[in-house]
Amino acid sequence: MNFTIILIFLNYPRKQEKNKMVEFITIVIYLSIYVGLVSTTFYILSFLAYKKKKRLLYTDDELPLVSVIIPAYNEEKSIAKTIKSISKSDYPFFEVIVVDDGSKDNTLKIARKFKSEKVSIFHKENGGKGTALNLGIKKAKGKIIFTMDADTTVDPQSMKKMVRFFKDKEVMSVNPAMVINKPKNILQRIQYIEYVMGLFLRKAFASLRAIYVSPGAFSAYRKSFFDKYGGYDEGNITEDLEMALRIQYHGYHTENCPEAPAYTTAPRTFKALTIQRRRWYFGLTKNLWNYRKIISLRYGDLGAFVIPTAIISIFFAVFVTAYLFLKTIFSVRDNLLFLQSINFDFVNALDFNSYVIERFLFLFFTKPVVIFILLFIFILGFYIYYASRKIGRLSGVLVNLLFFFLFFAVLFGFWWIVSLFYVLSSRQIRWR
Amino acid sequence: MANREFQSGRRYIISFLIGTAIFILVFALTYSISYFEFRRISSLQEGLTYDIFKNKLDYSFFDEKICIDESFDKISRDLGFQGRIIDDLEKKLGKDNEDVLFRKKFYTLIELEHFEFINLLNERCNGNVQTILFFYSNSNPNLEISEDAGRLLDVVHSRNRGLIIYSFDIDLDSDLIEKLKEKYDIEGSPTLIVNGEVLVENPQNILDIEKHLSIT
Repeated sequence: MNFTIILIFLNYPRKQEKNKMVEFITIVIYLSIYVGLVSTTFYILSFLAYKKKKRLLYTDDELPLVSVIIPAYNEEKSIAKTIKSISKSDYPFFEVIVVDDGSKDNTLKIARKFKSEKVSIFHKENGGKGTALNLGIKKAKGKIIFTMDADTTVDPQSMKKMVRFFKDKEVMSVNPAMVINKPKNILQRIQYIEYVMGLFLRKAFASLRAIYVSPGAFSAYRKSFFDKYGGYDEGNITEDLEMALRIQYHGYHTENCPEAPAYTTAPRTFKALTIQRRRWYFGLTKNLWNYRKIISLRYGDLGAFVIPTAIISIFFAVFVTAYLFLKTIFSVRDNLLFLQSINFDFVNALDFNSYVIERFLFLFFTKPVVIFILLFIFILGFYIYYASRKIGRLSGVLVNLLFFFLFFAVLFGFWWIVSLFYVLSSRQIRWR
Repeated sequence: MANREFQSGRRYIISFLIGTAIFILVFALTYSISYFEFRRISSLQEGLTYDIFKNKLDYSFFDEKICIDESFDKISRDLGFQGRIIDDLEKKLGKDNEDVLFRKKFYTLIELEHFEFINLLNERCNGNVQTILFFYSNSNPNLEISEDAGRLLDVVHSRNRGLIIYSFDIDLDSDLIEKLKEKYDIEGSPTLIVNGEVLVENPQNILDIEKHLSIT
């Protein structure tokens, strides 16, 4: 039985089938590059157009009362730091509402130490982040509500910069510049670049009035929106994403404030990161399906371009990842067979000379894919330059960029494959 | 439900035009690199041809004693490299590109010229330069197995210094190739002729080749 499987593995795919497959895959890859080029150009132009727009902004005298809601579940390690960070804000009138969502550790005990006129602490049975946020909204007195994760910190000026955007009555939410706090290992470094890249795209989306994902770690909302359209969807595993889509669905929009940094902690392990992404992408798929009416010309750039190209890019990522995975397996197999055919004579198999290098360079630079990758690296460099101007010097950025380019595309595709598997098999995912 | 305006219709047209232009430009750029490489290889090929003809004339016409020396290994490597690059150029610039096809035919010619010269030296100088004629296919369905055989030959060459490998594309539309196929009874690819005598079809292991080298 095992021998039969090995034989199938050694013979598959047959040469002719393989050639047809390679041609098809090449077409798909170049198609994805083409879509990527057109959409990237569109976003760069939108980004540049943002500067020309005049924005309605609150002056210092017009700033309204703000409530910051911090839902917390088993956050004893970070809750104190978060409360201290928001308490240092230079915003003139704000209250902090900590909602302990039935923590089993010392979160409540630590939070109570900060209880004051400005900081209120509430405790409830565990019910999920959405329920904790809704309790906070009920208790809130502010016209603007900030939701803040219990492992997030912010710059003292961030709140004020963000609230200014609410002068525009169409604005129902404002996003900060989310940044990964002190990335240490490879996975955190990859996420760091991903977030930095997000700063640029968010501004381009804001220019198009098309932000459809808000960071749950730190975002601002107009309280009247909750009063009119209800609070968070408590059964939703990506309640922040649902809220962003709901805002768009009702014809309002979300602004972006790249000058207001907020620092979040990125998952450290592959398992934790995969669980997080599975929840995000699963939630995105479900919520997009629920709000599928947005994907239409009636929703302007968001419905006609931004969401459709995002969906297309996900399909391309899944396809390319699956292809790279299979290609790697077959390549390993082919190389093992080759090594066997030369009786594992490694020394002579690695006969490097100037001609080998010359030919490699020629083949490398005559592959359009390589030039396109270099072009995308250049564009990413531009994104990073923009981010560094907004949130200050980015340390270790070159190393992070290297890891990002080596692994992100494959990881992104992998997370999507896992998430789509859960969606298609109707499996349920919990918040944690 | 909302009824939202597009921010700018013109931006879509400009993005489409710029994106398309970049896409085409990149392909044009890689094609240009291939073209410049072709020009460079053509020039190198002429230099190599000059060396081979000069050596041959020095020996046969001017009676110079140039029995096998280290320079033949260099010529062998040059030949191997140029053959590979011409195949690569054929893939990049197209199988119908007349200029590349001419270079390939010319390459076949100088290979044979050199092969004949080596045979002459082996005969007259009592030399023991071993040769392999490698008949491969640069198109489907035998492209991949020919490439595998090519990799095997690289290792064989590396293990047997002084060995000279001459590669011939059996799909090339050339009288010379047809005559060679007839002379050595070549029916498919990859096929090797070791030392002008032993025929090896689709070798699977370096020993399939080396066992014929060792007996000479």
